[in-house]
Amino acid sequence: MTTNVTSTGNNARTRPNPGLPVIGRLVAPALLVVTVLFGGGLLLGFLQGLGYLPAAGMKVFTLQHFANVLADPDFFRSLGLTLYISVTSTAAAALISIFMALVLTSLAQRHRVVHFIFQIPLTVPHLVIAVAVVFMFAPTGLFSRAALKLGLINSSASFPLLTNDSWGIGIVCTYVWKEVPFITLMILSVLRRTGVELLEVGKTLKAGRRQRFFYITLPTIFPSLGAACLIVFAYTFGAFEVPFLLGQTYPMTLPVWAYKNYSDVDLLARPEGIAIGLIIAAVVTTAVVASQLLTKAARRRGLVL
Amino acid sequence: MAAAGVGIAVLLPFVSLVMWSLSSRWFYPQLWPRQWGLRAWQYVFSTAGPQILAALGQSVLVAATTAAISVAIGIPAGRALGLYDFRGKDLVSVVLILPVIVPPLCVTMGLHLWFIIMGLAGSFFGVVLVHLTFCLPYAVFVMWGIFSNYNPSYEEQARSLGASAWKVLVRVILPLTFPGIMVAGLFSFLLSWSQYLSTLIIGGGKVTTLPILLFALMGSGDRPVAAAVSIVFVAPALLALLFSARYLGGKGIAGIR
Amino acid sequence: MGDLELKNITIGYGNTPVIRDFSLTVENGQMASLLGPSGAGKTTVLRAVAGLLQPRSGAIIIDGRPANGLPPEKRNAVMVFQKTLLFPFMNVEQNIGFGLQMQGRSTGEIRRRVEKILELTELTGLNRRKIHELSGGQQQRVSLARALVLKPAILLLDEPLSSLDATLRQHMRELIQDIQAQTRITTLFVTHDQAEALMMSQRVCLLLNGRIRQVGSPRELFYRPADPDVARFFGGCNFFEGRLKNGVYYSQYATVAAPGLSANGDRLTATIRPEDIRICADGNRGITGRVQKTSFEGTTTRIWVQCQDRVFVVLAPVTDLQAGQSVRLHLPPDKIRIFAAEN
Repeated sequence: MTTNVTSTGNNARTRPNPGLPVIGRLVAPALLVVTVLFGGGLLLGFLQGLGYLPAAGMKVFTLQHFANVLADPDFFRSLGLTLYISVTSTAAAALISIFMALVLTSLAQRHRVVHFIFQIPLTVPHLVIAVAVVFMFAPTGLFSRAALKLGLINSSASFPLLTNDSWGIGIVCTYVWKEVPFITLMILSVLRRTGVELLEVGKTLKAGRRQRFFYITLPTIFPSLGAACLIVFAYTFGAFEVPFLLGQTYPMTLPVWAYKNYSDVDLLARPEGIAIGLIIAAVVTTAVVASQLLTKAARRRGLVL
Repeated sequence: MAAAGVGIAVLLPFVSLVMWSLSSRWFYPQLWPRQWGLRAWQYVFSTAGPQILAALGQSVLVAATTAAISVAIGIPAGRALGLYDFRGKDLVSVVLILPVIVPPLCVTMGLHLWFIIMGLAGSFFGVVLVHLTFCLPYAVFVMWGIFSNYNPSYEEQARSLGASAWKVLVRVILPLTFPGIMVAGLFSFLLSWSQYLSTLIIGGGKVTTLPILLFALMGSGDRPVAAAVSIVFVAPALLALLFSARYLGGKGIAGIR
Repeated sequence: MGDLELKNITIGYGNTPVIRDFSLTVENGQMASLLGPSGAGKTTVLRAVAGLLQPRSGAIIIDGRPANGLPPEKRNAVMVFQKTLLFPFMNVEQNIGFGLQMQGRSTGEIRRRVEKILELTELTGLNRRKIHELSGGQQQRVSLARALVLKPAILLLDEPLSSLDATLRQHMRELIQDIQAQTRITTLFVTHDQAEALMMSQRVCLLLNGRIRQVGSPRELFYRPADPDVARFFGGCNFFEGRLKNGVYYSQYATVAAPGLSANGDRLTATIRPEDIRICADGNRGITGRVQKTSFEGTTTRIWVQCQDRVFVVLAPVTDLQAGQSVRLHLPPDKIRIFAAEN
């Protein structure tokens, strides 16, 4: 996703509307694909979550599956774990990204290699980095071996558990590694476009280093930082591969739990899996909408964001 | 300092993958493999060669098809959104952003039943369709960005110089938006390339792409082979990055995640 | 308020210096302009004064204190940029109050001073407007107000009017002049528009290719250009040559008493402004020529007249001359400017 989602160029404001038929023809294919496939998928998921599964002889609408999920004591443990992982990953990635963006703007164009290396994680599938994290973080992994060599630990058993652990350290590290370049580059494009000039204005208007950061840099990057963080939050909250490979067996994150139910041999567990999937979607959507409303309200009250 | 930190943090995972794929005897407390060897690579390219090559081909085919359709549909939509203001534009953009935000999990599960009924489950085309759901919005948003900084007067100029509508498309629009089209294509390709769960659910084990294979290998516990397949899996993505750095001035890939 | 002194400044990016050995003094309360074509290095000088870049050598003295090495925020000089560069995430009031807020002034003081400056810049009532809701002229005034509110010793203006249309620009020129006259802030103004420089400043510094070519009052630069390049920059287009003999300058077009010049026998270039050439009705004064073409320009008409081997350009009030017609031109000796040495 690019920053253009939130800020479009001037074209749309200056160009006359060629009429709905023309625009309709241009947007229709994309809208059709998304409404039919995405909307249809969501709707059918919803029907199944409500217990409507004619193939399995279930033809009655019921909220029972949602109720089952919500009443399960494991649900809130899973929800808590999932929230913890996605919030921690997003926050850590955001902080590191702000720092990296500042470093990279000051490095300027001299370090093209750094810029190139920095972009590598963007293209690497989550799965690959998760595999590499297993090789590095596992009790018999590279880090454990290095710690033993350095005399920090005396056996693999005394190496702290970093994968399949209760704190999800391996998962968070995987996400941070993968998402920092994404957030940084989103921020960087804004900083490069207007940030540098605005900072010069700030300098001549007598703002010190700290003041420039808090009064100019942060408000400048806030919209794209916010958008990037929302995307990262939404992804990490609903992703399956990384917690499946690196997470502990209990409690599971919501997506892993959802898939486990969905793929259960017992067809009756399937609607519950879908119900969890829908709850995930609801949480993410609520978080996104709420953050948008909060930002808007804060702006209306004159807060500089 | 910062540069060195970035370099180590980014490259260390690859170093560990490469080391594991080249080791033949490497027991616990050793920091270096006791014996280097090409066993894993031999396995990847000869013993399991047909299987892995088939998965590679399947992955490329799925991702390329998804990317091509995404771009073909994304260009007109991006043009409308980037060039014009129209009623319902906000609604359209919300509809298009939803697949980016809502996790693929529940949508894929919902589609699964439908695809079973329509005979699309377990088929190549079914997998492409489900990938398209999540890749298309990215292509639209890239093209939206491109077209909001695009000057359609070039087209009018070409028309007044005697170019036909078709010629305008081929000689003016496509060349002007070419970098954007490449980025949109790369975006969609990489996004489809790294899909796992949606392929697993819709493909139902019949469409075996590389991530499906890699997951199975991780379960088997053969680290050197899993490392080697990981490298095969990541190689095209790195090539894409190199390509974008060279042909699109490095800015191209900045939005991919 | 205070004066600004630049002594032998050299500035460069990479190996080639953009500005060489540049010296300029702007006195307290004066409005001076830095004039030159684009690429002459005007903005570079301004950025050096603001502290946004460091000169390789030379001294910058603001209000009697050397400013070399001081970061921009520690200098008593504020710059208004060519692009308005208003903070898009703040409203008008917040933008103008920014500098005061940075100094840690009280909310009451900020409000009072912002209000006063809003009035001065004709922005009263726009306090809460968002930046994108303002017109180009309003944005430019907010940008100016944001700098003025700090009451800097030196105000630096970098082509602040270049993005405005002609009528708005004229209005803004007058506004800036009025404000400057009221506040008496020492101002250094960068422009590529010679009319703007002549109209707005008490002192003009003409910069060509990174070097100062002439500094002086607008009248001096306009009527007594130091060399042909300066004359050309101000629209001079009639150049001719002659020789000096015993304090008199002889050319085929005019004879001028030149008591100040003593270089006997030298070939010297002279110029006369197109509007100073007279077209004569009577048949014995001046030189004869033939009208090549005319071009109607509104209040005046531009006439190209071929006289011997040279074409003179004449600006005259509306005439009915036709191409091919023969005329007599008179070059009044007191309007002829003779340049001291050949270039």
